[in-house]
Amino acid sequence: MADSVVMGSGSLNSGSRSGSSKTSTSPTENYQLARRRTLQVVVSSLLTECGFESAEKVAVETLTEMMQSYITEVGRCAKATCEHTARSTPTLSDVVVTLVEMGFNVDTLPVYAKRSQRMVITAPPVTNAPVIPKALMAGQKRTHPTYIPSHFPEFPDPHTYIKTPTFREPVSEYQVVREKAASQRRDVERALTRFMAKTGETQSLFKDDISAFPLISSKPSAIPYLSTLLPSELELQSLEETDSSEQDDQTDSENNPSNIIQDDQSADKENIVLPPGGVVPTGKANEENMIDNPYLRPVKKPKVRRKK
Amino acid sequence: VPHSGSSMNRKKDKGFEICINNINFQRKSVIGYVELTIFPTVMNLNRIKLNSKQCRIYRVRVNDLEAPFIYNDPTLEVCHHESKQRNLNYFSSAYTAAVSAVDPDAGNGELSIKVPSELWKQGDEMKVMKVYIEFSLDQPKGGLHFVVPDVEGSMAERAAHVFSFGNQNSTRFWFPCVDSYSELCTWKLEFTVDASMVAVSCGDLVETVYTHDMRKKTFHYMLPIPTAAPNISLAVGPFEILVDPYMHEVTHFCLPQLLPLLKHTMSYLHEIFEFYEEILTCRYPYSCFKTVFVDEAYVQVSSYASMSIFSTNLLHSGMIIDQTPVTRHCLAQALAQQFFGCFISRMSWADEWVLKGISGYIYGLYLKKTFGVNEYRHWIKEELDTIVDYELKIGGVLLHPTFSGGKEKDNPTPHLHFSIRHPHTLSWEYYKMFQCKAHLVMRLIENRISMEFMLQVFNKLLSLASTASSQKYQSHMWSQMLVSTSGFLKSISNVSGKDIGPLIKQWVDQSGVVKFFGSFAFNRKRNVLELEIRQDYTSSGTQKYVGPIKVTVQELDGSFNHTLQIEENSLKHDIPCHSKSRRNKKKKIPLMNGEEVDMDLSAMDADSPLLWIRIDPDMSILRKVEFEQADFMWQYQLRFERDVVAQEEAISALEIFPTPASRLALTDILEQDQCFYKVRMQACFCLAKIANSMMSTWTGPPAMKSLFTRMFCCKSCPNIVKTNNFINFQSYFLQKTMPVAMALLRDVQNLCPKEVLNFMLDLIKYNDNRKNKFSDNYYRAELIDALTNSLTPAISINNEVRTVDNLNTDVRLILEEITRFLNMEKLLPSYRNTITVSCLRAIRMLQKNGHIPSDPSLFKSYAQYGHFVDVRIAALEAVIDYTRVDRSSSELQWLLELVHNDPVHYIRHEILSMLAKNPPFTKAADSLLCNEALVDQLWKLMNSGRMHTFNFSPRKFLWCLYGLNPSIYQSYLGQKPKQSPSLIGVAMAPLGLKRKAETPLSSSPEPGQVMQEEPSAKASVKSKVSNLL
Repeated sequence: MADSVVMGSGSLNSGSRSGSSKTSTSPTENYQLARRRTLQVVVSSLLTECGFESAEKVAVETLTEMMQSYITEVGRCAKATCEHTARSTPTLSDVVVTLVEMGFNVDTLPVYAKRSQRMVITAPPVTNAPVIPKALMAGQKRTHPTYIPSHFPEFPDPHTYIKTPTFREPVSEYQVVREKAASQRRDVERALTRFMAKTGETQSLFKDDISAFPLISSKPSAIPYLSTLLPSELELQSLEETDSSEQDDQTDSENNPSNIIQDDQSADKENIVLPPGGVVPTGKANEENMIDNPYLRPVKKPKVRRKK
Repeated sequence: VPHSGSSMNRKKDKGFEICINNINFQRKSVIGYVELTIFPTVMNLNRIKLNSKQCRIYRVRVNDLEAPFIYNDPTLEVCHHESKQRNLNYFSSAYTAAVSAVDPDAGNGELSIKVPSELWKQGDEMKVMKVYIEFSLDQPKGGLHFVVPDVEGSMAERAAHVFSFGNQNSTRFWFPCVDSYSELCTWKLEFTVDASMVAVSCGDLVETVYTHDMRKKTFHYMLPIPTAAPNISLAVGPFEILVDPYMHEVTHFCLPQLLPLLKHTMSYLHEIFEFYEEILTCRYPYSCFKTVFVDEAYVQVSSYASMSIFSTNLLHSGMIIDQTPVTRHCLAQALAQQFFGCFISRMSWADEWVLKGISGYIYGLYLKKTFGVNEYRHWIKEELDTIVDYELKIGGVLLHPTFSGGKEKDNPTPHLHFSIRHPHTLSWEYYKMFQCKAHLVMRLIENRISMEFMLQVFNKLLSLASTASSQKYQSHMWSQMLVSTSGFLKSISNVSGKDIGPLIKQWVDQSGVVKFFGSFAFNRKRNVLELEIRQDYTSSGTQKYVGPIKVTVQELDGSFNHTLQIEENSLKHDIPCHSKSRRNKKKKIPLMNGEEVDMDLSAMDADSPLLWIRIDPDMSILRKVEFEQADFMWQYQLRFERDVVAQEEAISALEIFPTPASRLALTDILEQDQCFYKVRMQACFCLAKIANSMMSTWTGPPAMKSLFTRMFCCKSCPNIVKTNNFINFQSYFLQKTMPVAMALLRDVQNLCPKEVLNFMLDLIKYNDNRKNKFSDNYYRAELIDALTNSLTPAISINNEVRTVDNLNTDVRLILEEITRFLNMEKLLPSYRNTITVSCLRAIRMLQKNGHIPSDPSLFKSYAQYGHFVDVRIAALEAVIDYTRVDRSSSELQWLLELVHNDPVHYIRHEILSMLAKNPPFTKAADSLLCNEALVDQLWKLMNSGRMHTFNFSPRKFLWCLYGLNPSIYQSYLGQKPKQSPSLIGVAMAPLGLKRKAETPLSSSPEPGQVMQEEPSAKASVKSKVSNLL
């Protein structure tokens, strides 16, 4: 469990790190590959030390990954510990604390380091430390203001906080907007009706060319008044939209602080007056219980006459 | 016909009990019984006559004794089969006789029950008799209407319902009763229906009880207020119930899923209630009120005791503008009739005008209060114009007919092709005009005695009636609940102390309207206006008027009223003028309403101080005035007279003055937003007419275009209309109307100008309703109407067949819009399918103008049962038009088939009345459609009593085709008796018609074609065909 957590966070970390070094050019890759290869060698030698003669590549790879994760986690925790005490560079004690924290018995370390079967591994080949490619300069890089000590981290690249609009200016000219809305709607309607006409039965106005001006054929409905009298969903929807926008406007004006301050009392009065007129539906349920209407009365059970 | 002395048949109803214990929606049948309690008022009552139609009667018992009965309905075959005559006069008299023979007011009825002899003694002692009748009703053709949608599920899930309906006293169609408005009794009603259904009926719902199997429930109603049988109704269905939030004793019912619409529509009713109760200073007479909204209703509104049945199509949501006033009008009418018509009934048919008059009058008061004085005056003018047009065209409408001796020879209305003796023999249209005239006459009475007295009279009638109604055991008092003409007039003279005898004599006892012609001259020397008022009282539908008339003269110094006396021989009237002509002094001119305005007087005659003259400005005579005054006077009247009626008169008068000054006056009115919107709408159409007359001299953009742009388009881009915002209804109506009027503009080639057409296409293109609170379906429909108006006949060479390729480019654009609209409607249907209706009209217009092939099949598919009723009517109208233009006998047959078989009564009636309005041929022009088979068919239709509630329609149609004394079929029928009936059709048909029957013409015949095909055809056939073209 602990392992997997460690591994997970490690890989995540490495992932984010590689992500943050945004420009992963080939030198960086080389550098990382070389490190990785060294690690692999370490793992292999450790395996040899333990008496393995051969290992599957997948196994080695997995162990390498675990090793890397472990080391990364040690580094991360050590950094965290040091930053916790308001320093910027980790010291040995930070590492020790970290190792203890991670459940490692530090005392065994010197013994382990001095063991006899220890294999010496050649230093990794010197590869050029990755050249951090120059970030795209956007704007002027800002220096610290005077009240910030120089050892504090520098400001991030300006591109992270400078607004750089990349989209084109939207067309806001009224005429064009209307024009566009109109033709869009017309196109949609035409396409839709054409489709419906093509997929269903049609009636035609011309005998010679049935496909010209196809009319979706009329179908009688069993209850024709329903669809014709009830507003369509679209209409209801748009109605709700306009209603809600109106309500929004009202609440906005009501919430306007100046209003409330100016005539607090009158606003209160309004609130009292409002419910009966404005919120009819909620009060209605109660009302209906009180209404004595013969059509609301329960249906009576028939009188049983058999007993007589 | 058994007729054992009608004097023996006197009886008085006391209580009535109806129980319907089974309603079968599947088989459309009803089973039940009625029980009448009768007080004989004569000795030896041995026969009881009741009204009953189409009911099957199983047994009759009188006081528990089986009683024999005879059933005879003479209206089933009005003229006997072997009868020789076939003309409308003969039919009319036969029909009147048939209706009289079963008239309950004369103690007659279809059902004659012999009182068992054991009870005769009892009759001597005037004891109560209980008559018990078991009956059933199977697939009723009238009286009750079943709506059973053809879908899956139980009857409740299918929204199946049934309701009573009928023209006048038609209750006998669904249960045996004394079907008279003057026979009052108290009611106990019981209806057993499926547990998922609700039965709504008259009176108070006492209780609802399950049957023993718990699958049905019984609704028990009591109506303690004495009520006539025709005011009893029933509606059963799976209704949703809404208790009125303002008045808990009022309950509304609608079909499933429509509850949100019902809530919105009914949110207003309480205001109408308050209004009527306030003006009548009388509470609503019944203890409860119910409104039921049903599908396939025959009429929009029908009122019964304590309930009203409405068409479900009156329901609407809050997004709909146009339907709202219409629905409110209907609600107000229904409620007015609750007071006068249901609670107060009538003594006899001749007193009907009082009820219709009062309910129409108080409805008018409601209009005035709610919609404003402008709307009210506009409505009065509209009603006045309608009745005047009808009477001048068809003949007089008589409100209070008196029949001396009951002989048909004394027919007070010989000019009509029907008898006005009974409500059932009337034409539907006549009855509408009758109601219209009745309320106008009430308004005349108000003018004479003042509104205050008028309302006092109504209050008196109501309070007498309500006192009488509470007298449970003194049924002789109940006659107070029946209004009669004499009683009403007595009440008026008691309350007001005024004699309105002459007024009644003129407008109620006598038919016809007054037709005035007016002209004037100004005598400068005497400073006198010489007014000449002539009358035409010789034409049909007119009467002579003698009495006062008001004339208003607007002069430079102000407006002056003069009351002239119209006398027998005086035509000329001298009216002294108050002001000298003076043009140079600049002074404001006082108007009638006290307002003072600046006028540009340069247009007027330098010598005359007269600005304009109005005859009878208050519409206090039922008249038509044709008045001549100069164009500038009409223009002043339009601009400065504040009365909407005057403005509307001025607009119609200006149509014949196409001058730049008229144009300016109309444009100014159009722009004035204080002006009444209906006046502005009318001005649009007048402006279009004037523009067309001024075509050659017209300068600037097409009429109304710049105005529309200024009012409704964006400031920055004038070709784009603003996104819709219909919050201001006046400008909404104007925005709707202007394009329709603009589309009537024509250029020199008599085409709609390209600029106008493009403008309209842009309106459609840029129409954007997303931000609108209201639906734009009516607006879009009117834009389609505008496209329709822009169509002109296609230029065609050699009558080529219409194809897609030779379609005009403009028409192609129009057709594309119409196709898209019609197709979109299938996906997103608009309210009441207004857009489909407009599209169908547009397509018919395209066909008629020869742009696309003429073909009725599209319309026939839309005319099918199962489409919304408005769509069906529009489609049928197109088929009828096609029938006339293409003279298609197969389409005519198809239409008549529908008349026979369509499930919706309203559609059946409408087909015939539309055919009558747009007849496939007329008497003057010979047509191949005109043959004996058609006459036969129509004759059978009206003779058989099949049409039930609207038996008049076929007669009206026949009358439109052939006139009163149809010579065209007399020529066949003259020889008829010699032939055996089965042979008539073939043997008697002239050659031309016979040929037609063999080779029906499918498309419009060309003269050349006929010549080639029928070289041997008789000359008469040729002339016939060429006459048609």
